[in-house]
Amino acid sequence: MSDKKIYAIYDDDYVLLESAKHLVAKGVYIRDVFSPFPVHGLDPVIGLKRTRIAIAAFIYGMIGVSLALTGMWFFMIKDWPLNVGGKPNFSIFTNLPSFIPITFEFGVLCAAHGMAITYLLRNWTLPGFKSRNPYPRTTDDRFVMEIHTHDNEVSEEEIKSLINETCVLEIDVKNS
Amino acid sequence: MANSKKYWKGLEQLNEDANFLASSQNEFPEHLPVDEFLGDAASLESSSTSRRDFLKFLGFSVAAASLASCETPITKAIPYINKPEEITPGVANYYASTYFDGNDYAPILVKTREGRPIFISGNNLSTLTKGAINARVNASVLSLYDNNRLKNPMANGKDSDWNTVDTAIKNELANSKNIKILSNTIISPATRSILFDFAAKEVHDEKGFVKGRQLEGWVQYNPISYSGILNANQVTFGKAAIPTYNFKKAKTIVSIGADFMASWLDSLMYLNDYAQTRKPDNDWMSKHYQFEANMSLTGTNADVRVPVKPSEYGAIVAQILNKLGGNVSADSTKYDDYIAKVVNDLKSTLGESIVICGSNDKNVQILVNAINNLLGNYGKTIDLARSSNTKAGDDAELVALIKAMNAGEVDALFIYGVDPVYTLGEEFKSALAKVKLSVSFASKLTDTAAVCKYVCPDNHALESWNDACPVEGYYSLAQPTISKLFNTRQAQESFLVWKGNTTPYYDYLKSYWDKNIFTQQTSQLFFTDFWNKSLHDGVVEIPTKITDVAPFNADLNIAYTAIKDIKSGAIEIVLTQNMGVGDGSGADNPWLQEMPDPLTKVTWDNYVTMNPAEMLDKGYNINLGQEQLANVVSVTVNGKTVENLPVVAQPGQAKGTIGLALGYGKKVGNMIEATGKNAYPLVSLNDAGFSYYGVATLVDVTMEYHVAATQTQQTIMGRDSIVRETTLDVYKKGNKDDYNPAHTLLVHENGEAIQKNVKEIDLWKAQPVENIGHRWGMTIDLNTCIGCSACVTSCISENNIAVIGKDEVRRGRIMHWLRIDRYYSSDHQEVGAIGETHEKTKLAENIGGIAAYTQMERASDNPQVIHQPMMCQHCNHAGCETVCPVAATTHSNEGLNMMAYNRCIGTRYCANNCAYKVRRFNWYNYKAYSKFTEVNPSQDDLGRMVLNPDVVVRSRGVMEKCSMCVQRIQAGKLEAKIASTKVQDGSIQTACATACPTNAITFGDLNDTTSKASEGKNHNRAFRVIEEVGQQPNIYYQTKVRNLKNNEA
Amino acid sequence: MHKEAVIREPLILGNDVTYSKISDDVLHTIEHAPTKTWKILMTIASIIALWGVCCILYLIGTGIGVWGLNNTVGWAWDITNFVWWVGIGHAGTLISAVLLLFRQKWRMAINRPAEAMTIFAVFMAGTFPMIHMGRIWMAYWVLPLPNQFGSLWVNFNSPLLWDVFAISTYMSVSLVFWYIGLIPDFATIRDRAKTPVSKLMYSLLSFGWTGNAKAWQRFEEVSLVLAGLATPLVFSVHSIVSMDFATSVIPGWHTTIFPPYFVAGAVFSGFAMVQTLMLIVRKAMHLEQYVTIKHIEYMNIVIIVTGSIVGVAYLTELFMSYYSGVEYESYAFINRFSGPYAWAYWTMMTCNVVSPHLFWFKKLRTNLGFTFFMSIIVNIGMWFERFVIIVTSVHRDYLPSSWSMFYPTWVDIGVYIGTIGIFSVFYLLFLKYFPVLAFNEVKSILKSSGERYKNMSDEDFKKLHPVKKIN
Repeated sequence: MSDKKIYAIYDDDYVLLESAKHLVAKGVYIRDVFSPFPVHGLDPVIGLKRTRIAIAAFIYGMIGVSLALTGMWFFMIKDWPLNVGGKPNFSIFTNLPSFIPITFEFGVLCAAHGMAITYLLRNWTLPGFKSRNPYPRTTDDRFVMEIHTHDNEVSEEEIKSLINETCVLEIDVKNS
Repeated sequence: MANSKKYWKGLEQLNEDANFLASSQNEFPEHLPVDEFLGDAASLESSSTSRRDFLKFLGFSVAAASLASCETPITKAIPYINKPEEITPGVANYYASTYFDGNDYAPILVKTREGRPIFISGNNLSTLTKGAINARVNASVLSLYDNNRLKNPMANGKDSDWNTVDTAIKNELANSKNIKILSNTIISPATRSILFDFAAKEVHDEKGFVKGRQLEGWVQYNPISYSGILNANQVTFGKAAIPTYNFKKAKTIVSIGADFMASWLDSLMYLNDYAQTRKPDNDWMSKHYQFEANMSLTGTNADVRVPVKPSEYGAIVAQILNKLGGNVSADSTKYDDYIAKVVNDLKSTLGESIVICGSNDKNVQILVNAINNLLGNYGKTIDLARSSNTKAGDDAELVALIKAMNAGEVDALFIYGVDPVYTLGEEFKSALAKVKLSVSFASKLTDTAAVCKYVCPDNHALESWNDACPVEGYYSLAQPTISKLFNTRQAQESFLVWKGNTTPYYDYLKSYWDKNIFTQQTSQLFFTDFWNKSLHDGVVEIPTKITDVAPFNADLNIAYTAIKDIKSGAIEIVLTQNMGVGDGSGADNPWLQEMPDPLTKVTWDNYVTMNPAEMLDKGYNINLGQEQLANVVSVTVNGKTVENLPVVAQPGQAKGTIGLALGYGKKVGNMIEATGKNAYPLVSLNDAGFSYYGVATLVDVTMEYHVAATQTQQTIMGRDSIVRETTLDVYKKGNKDDYNPAHTLLVHENGEAIQKNVKEIDLWKAQPVENIGHRWGMTIDLNTCIGCSACVTSCISENNIAVIGKDEVRRGRIMHWLRIDRYYSSDHQEVGAIGETHEKTKLAENIGGIAAYTQMERASDNPQVIHQPMMCQHCNHAGCETVCPVAATTHSNEGLNMMAYNRCIGTRYCANNCAYKVRRFNWYNYKAYSKFTEVNPSQDDLGRMVLNPDVVVRSRGVMEKCSMCVQRIQAGKLEAKIASTKVQDGSIQTACATACPTNAITFGDLNDTTSKASEGKNHNRAFRVIEEVGQQPNIYYQTKVRNLKNNEA
Repeated sequence: MHKEAVIREPLILGNDVTYSKISDDVLHTIEHAPTKTWKILMTIASIIALWGVCCILYLIGTGIGVWGLNNTVGWAWDITNFVWWVGIGHAGTLISAVLLLFRQKWRMAINRPAEAMTIFAVFMAGTFPMIHMGRIWMAYWVLPLPNQFGSLWVNFNSPLLWDVFAISTYMSVSLVFWYIGLIPDFATIRDRAKTPVSKLMYSLLSFGWTGNAKAWQRFEEVSLVLAGLATPLVFSVHSIVSMDFATSVIPGWHTTIFPPYFVAGAVFSGFAMVQTLMLIVRKAMHLEQYVTIKHIEYMNIVIIVTGSIVGVAYLTELFMSYYSGVEYESYAFINRFSGPYAWAYWTMMTCNVVSPHLFWFKKLRTNLGFTFFMSIIVNIGMWFERFVIIVTSVHRDYLPSSWSMFYPTWVDIGVYIGTIGIFSVFYLLFLKYFPVLAFNEVKSILKSSGERYKNMSDEDFKKLHPVKKIN
């Protein structure tokens, strides 16, 4: 028996959230939810783990900082030390004060861009990619649950009936 | 194991062929037919290259080599095919020569590179000038490469060739009786004899025998005439001559309107001696009084300066004489209290003083002679016996000549070295029209040349052989440093040719010296040695015994009565010469035009100077600026008017007088209109001679005029750490804190507050500079710096600094690396006087701080003046270096602040962050942009030849600044290295230091404890400009000391 | 259901607002043909912009000499404009970042246009350091690139180099921040698009955004972290710009108070500019329901605060110059208010210090016309602040011999006006083709801060949105 996608379409985030709670209580596993804006409080309900993208950002930032510092150390102190206005350039510490601004800026630069790129890749959103939302209006004013029959022991009909208990606009079933 | 491999030269060796073995013993295995060839005469003859030919070739190549050396330099880079032996590419040659233009006399050294003269400095071997030059002499090298020079002789206004001109002139000469020569003063003995030959003719007695020769007509004429002095000396001592002055011995110097540092007489002979007497560390320092109408360079250096009207000069002289007990019953003057002081000092320094007057009035000069005679200065500080030949022009003769010309009695007139149509105007022009044959030797199409029938362009001085005898017994030689650029001919040669004498001037000169000068001396046995030595040294000094002059004898009362009826007026004018243009000789020289006037700092113009107080009364604008325009007047002096002259405020200008510089109104470079206005019409000429003073009337012109000044702020604003000055008695007391206190800051160290010298305060562990290798630096003595600006032009010519023209200068973009800051004292704050900051604040409290500052911007009506050469200070903690994003300017380990032009991206951040504002930005592409074609000589191929190949020409958009002549430093180090010695102190000189006539600038290694520079650095008077900012410059200045009692006017 | 306290005034007005209405209102301009006014404005703007481009080309072709600068005043309008634009560029990121961290919901109505302004302003700012170089074709030398001259690196001690990094970082990070926010909105437009062209364009722009739960989770995380990064960035950028002056030796520049003082000034001018733009946008695009008087008022309050900070900074400067006893320092400031440029100083004072305090009156700070007028005044004032700091400090510094004046040329003026033109062109394009409000974010606050829901009891709300079917 083939896997079926059941789409429960709502017109309000609050309703969707409540319905999701209801279904999950009934043991239905909700694969995904499509909404025009983030529905707060939904993630724990449908069991989404917290993203680790912030940690990635931190790592990128640290890379940036160390890159900047080693770079400036190499340029100003190691490779070609110059007497600039009599200022000391004997070691990175004597010269550190004037390195701080760029170190910071470069750290931020790497953190921000690294994170942004990771974000786009993980969401699989890049120029020219096709969108995968089932209905166009999910980006406007529709809120849709995606439930796979494979994920659930209960049968398609039961799921449908469970959904029908909630204030759903429409239920749609697709073969995948 | 030994290498047993064996290589055969060929199979023969392998087979050990018999012949091979035999021949292998010989040096040449095969037989060479040398003997046959040389032995067989026939074949030798028949061969194309005989020994004879070979020698011919050899000879030719040598000739070619020597020819190539005097080839017209080609601006395209072409390698020498035959390298002339005295020219090594990249190595400069120096030739001793002489500069004399009828006004300035200076023995010079000419620096040539690859056969091009590019730099002129003074010849230190001369005891007359002691190496002194001024901006005009220094910049004259540029006029050699002036594209407007005549490139061919001209006949009737059209280009021609020498043969035509010569034949034509010879023919006309044949049937012209009355031949006259009008020249400037000729101090060249050889030339004098040529002109004498030319202008003299044989006189026959009634029997028809040759009785002798008499000089028929040779008039010497100085546009700036000193015939007053000549005549006065004629009257008083029976010798019409200019005395020589020895300022070195003068303890009291009284000058009444004589600007003897800039233009009066042989100023270059005085500068160095004068400076010697201005050193406060010597056991005596000369006291210098200056009575004058317009603020002159000399006036700015005087200890006491009294502004007086020119009509009062005579009266003042008379009164001095009177008070000294000369038998003249002079009336009292407004200035008697000053005169009392003067007389006092003169009496205490009998025979050790000099009294001079700038007036060209015979009678005034008679009284001056009387004073000096009374003081017993003659023979001590003033020498009339060994007189100066440089100013021989006699006005009376000129008047006579003009009369004769007007009467049509002059058939032929040869005009040499002067431009009378420009200086004398219409009178002369109309008179000249009546002369049948008029020949000019002008090297450019001057006003005179334009109306002369023939123009026989003279060589430039740097292309000519010549000699000079400025003072009896003092000779110098001029030798060409480049072969003729154009089809010109030296005037002397022309005269010889027309006299039918075909000897080149060089030979003539040589034989003349052989006959006349070699014979006077005893040092050399053979003439050749004498000649070579003279050429090498440039100067020959044979102070032979000379007859003394007659004792002083004159009726002073006649003179005095004559003086009494000198006309005075509400507004009196003084016609002056400024440092750049002089009597007009420098008018067509862009470098000199762009050199700011030492006082007004105005460029590219002459202008009426007036006391600011009077200007305010008239409602004139006294502050010049980019958009603050000058008011304009027309000046009329006895009937003659000069229109549309801008009025510039000159603090110190005597009230009721105005000043105006002569020599302007000529076209510069390719400019369409003339620069400034010709003021010569205002010079009045009567039988008494020229007068440069007069009663003027001003008419306002409703028109505003842009004046380009490089310094618009007049005063020091009470800042005492920029320049410092004190009085002699304070200095002699010897307490450094009174006149040159160290900058201290209140700091807290281990719990207590202490005053700490800023030198010791540092934010960081600095890069070490003390006692590590070289540390190039300078000390500049503000006492001996007289502000003459020779260093400015010298810097221009050494460092290829772009000329940018009036409009850009007005926009405050002058490119000079070295400028001379001029500060006037204000009524509220002396210039750089120490320890008066609190006085200032007191004043500020009285009239409110802000008002105090506003008033401080006004200079006093008769201010004290200070000149401060300002160039890159090469700070050890330079602000400019830190801020450059691309590290285009960094510090060398020899203490130089280096500028890498080709790394610069032109953010101008360094210039903003320079506390001394000495950085210069290339706002445009000066060497190509159309705006500068007119003014910038380096935009035409010829003008480019003056560029110094050691210094790169900066491109658009990069920053530039004083490099302390790093190219000279490198050269010097190289020499030392070749000689494998350490760099000797003084062996390296920057351009400004070489040019300084008073040696105020000392360059050297500050880490070399024995060097003059570090000596000056450790001197008590030494200070660094705004040291408290903590940039630690390597340029030290020395406090100016005026010979005054404290609080003395 | 979470709701804000009733005392908080609603941020979305009108009882008819639904999710789809929000989209309709905001996307109206995008989904309809450009209006006449837009076209007219666009034409004017592009003419000015073109003029500016010509001036810049003339400048680059001829040399910096076509500006009015001189040996003493090496920077004048160029850097003044640079700092002015950077300052303006500060509001956007500040609003979207700082206010996001502070959970200020009112930001949502204005952060998008503010950020757009930021990006275009910083872009304008960036042009000035470029064109003010004597040799712009060597501009890439400010980057530490290996090169054929061997070991020739840049000078990391130079504040100007810090600027290079600060400005470029700020520019690109703001861009990223802005665009990540835009993606979901583009997706909406894509899914609503009728014509194939716009569908294609917006599907490219929207990167194929799907809007599933995980994406939204990441979205919120990224926004938060970016905000966290951008906040210090905002402060650092203008601090570093101020160091161009603060680290120098010129009296009037060398002042430790500069960093905070500049940042405050930047926010000050930034918000003023946001006001100028928002008031026009709001009127022209009928967004009164989303950009309410309350928003305007909030921004005016920020202007009072920052304006006061700036005022305090001015006075501190004056006091310190007097108290320091350094004669150059004190003269620099005496010269400011009494010297030849006193008029500029007093213009600055009136515009920046006096006028903002009129906003203490609620009547005035809620009056649109007055707010608009004030926003212009403040921007003028802030331009003069930079002019005063840069020119009047350097035109009379240590050596009186080199004191001079600065007179702008037509090129100075042309370039400045030109950049305003270029900025307007960009902004008009943004208004036409980009979602002017972050409407999807606005939707998310509809329930919490929408007028309709605020006045609704929980019962009514439940009635309106029943969860269980009543069988």
